[in-house]
Amino acid sequence: MTTLINEDPAKLAAFEARIARGEKIEPGDWMPAEYRRQLIRMISQHAHSEYVGMLPEGAWITRAPSLRRKMILIAKVQDEAGHGQYLYHAAETLGATREEMMDALLTGRAKYSSIFNYPSLTWADVGMIGWLVDGAAIRNQTMLAGCSYGPYSRAMVRICSEETFHHKQGKEMILAYANGTPKQRAMAQDALDRWWWPSLMMLGPHDQDSPNSGPLMKWGIKLKSNDEVRQEFINEHVPELQEAGLTIPDPDLHQDEHGNWVHGPIDWSEFWRVVKGGGQCNKERMDARNDAHAEGAWVREAMQAYASRALQAAD
Amino acid sequence: MTTETQWPRWEVFKQDTPSKPHQAVGSVHAADAQHALVTARTVFVRRPSAVSLWVVPADAIFAKTAEELQSREAPSEAPSPLAERPSPFLAFRKTSHKRSMTFVDFAGQVDAVSPEEALDLARERFADGVALAWWIVPLGDVTKSDDDADTIESWFAPAKDKTYRQQSSYGVIGSHVSKHKQGRATE
Repeated sequence: MTTLINEDPAKLAAFEARIARGEKIEPGDWMPAEYRRQLIRMISQHAHSEYVGMLPEGAWITRAPSLRRKMILIAKVQDEAGHGQYLYHAAETLGATREEMMDALLTGRAKYSSIFNYPSLTWADVGMIGWLVDGAAIRNQTMLAGCSYGPYSRAMVRICSEETFHHKQGKEMILAYANGTPKQRAMAQDALDRWWWPSLMMLGPHDQDSPNSGPLMKWGIKLKSNDEVRQEFINEHVPELQEAGLTIPDPDLHQDEHGNWVHGPIDWSEFWRVVKGGGQCNKERMDARNDAHAEGAWVREAMQAYASRALQAAD
Repeated sequence: MTTETQWPRWEVFKQDTPSKPHQAVGSVHAADAQHALVTARTVFVRRPSAVSLWVVPADAIFAKTAEELQSREAPSEAPSPLAERPSPFLAFRKTSHKRSMTFVDFAGQVDAVSPEEALDLARERFADGVALAWWIVPLGDVTKSDDDADTIESWFAPAKDKTYRQQSSYGVIGSHVSKHKQGRATE
């Protein structure tokens, strides 16, 4: 953390004392440059993930099996767009502009969660994404709601309360299939087989391989490590999936003496391959985002023309 | 720096019930105030409850944190020019570090010749409790949603009927999570 050399030691000490007292840091407050940099990196990646996350589910809106399921899915996809808005705003309070962040996403410079590079092949996948992917996201976001940076923490509280709806409707969908016909049960199991490992991976590399965790934990940006959050996620979901009669695709899964569920080895080479662009849908997702931006150009132009005319009329 | 072509940013204030203050909930980018209101409704009123929205251009807000007010260093910006006669300003403040979904809450209105004077008056007049941050907004820069019954009904009521958006409409599915907590390590 060489950037800290340039920081005023007295200011840094006062800042760290505030974090130790549990105070929230607000946009006008002094903060180390590295704290600002880490937050912009994390929050904008998070916002991009919400945006790209609309794609695997949005693909199923036209094919939902009932009007109720269709309305639920539309509401959920609309929520993801709103979550992106809350998060982009939180990053803007640190001096990032929406335009720079959007540009970073559309040109592939910025990352988004690797999980959205997996395809949603069946309707059961939509339920499994709600139960597992949103379930993992909630565990991570509940932790981030305690973050030391006020705007990020507030965005997370709002997102978690909405995300709980996503989690519950996904669980409801999967339980309906798990209690349904043999074909439906097979679809639920197939979805679990494909989404289980990516869901564990989306919580990030093991603690010893996570380069950013040190400064993030030190300044209260993250309050728990990747492995701690992953343990909470597994402990919550394993018994519920088993109760639903589904089989978790991990022959090494077992409970330790503390009652924690212990998973077998994770194939991190797959994780890094997907992060680096080698996933099944990386290109498709980026193309879809760029197409949406290009096809929306006429809306931006029309609004701009309307705004200019309104300004002229006011003069 | 990239060349900025994005629409201006507007801060959004939402009022949940008539008895609660308007609270800063976040921002939207929009071409004008009406566009900002409509966008704010989509982003921040997807669920109950709300009865009113205000939007303010972000650059019209005079913001000071407690840290900035305590700082003995010379202010970095030049003071605002003084108006010939006082005009109304709205004062918003943050009073707690506790978890909350909102930033500053509406505290009240003062008449002043500059945002700085409005801030001084607000600090005297709304002195109940610690203020961790202040936002001062000229009333003339605030655009409000219409508060007639029809508008409130058409803008805010539809979200209430969409119970499928509420986590509570799914109840407890399967066993309650507490059942699985037995025998688990202390968290």
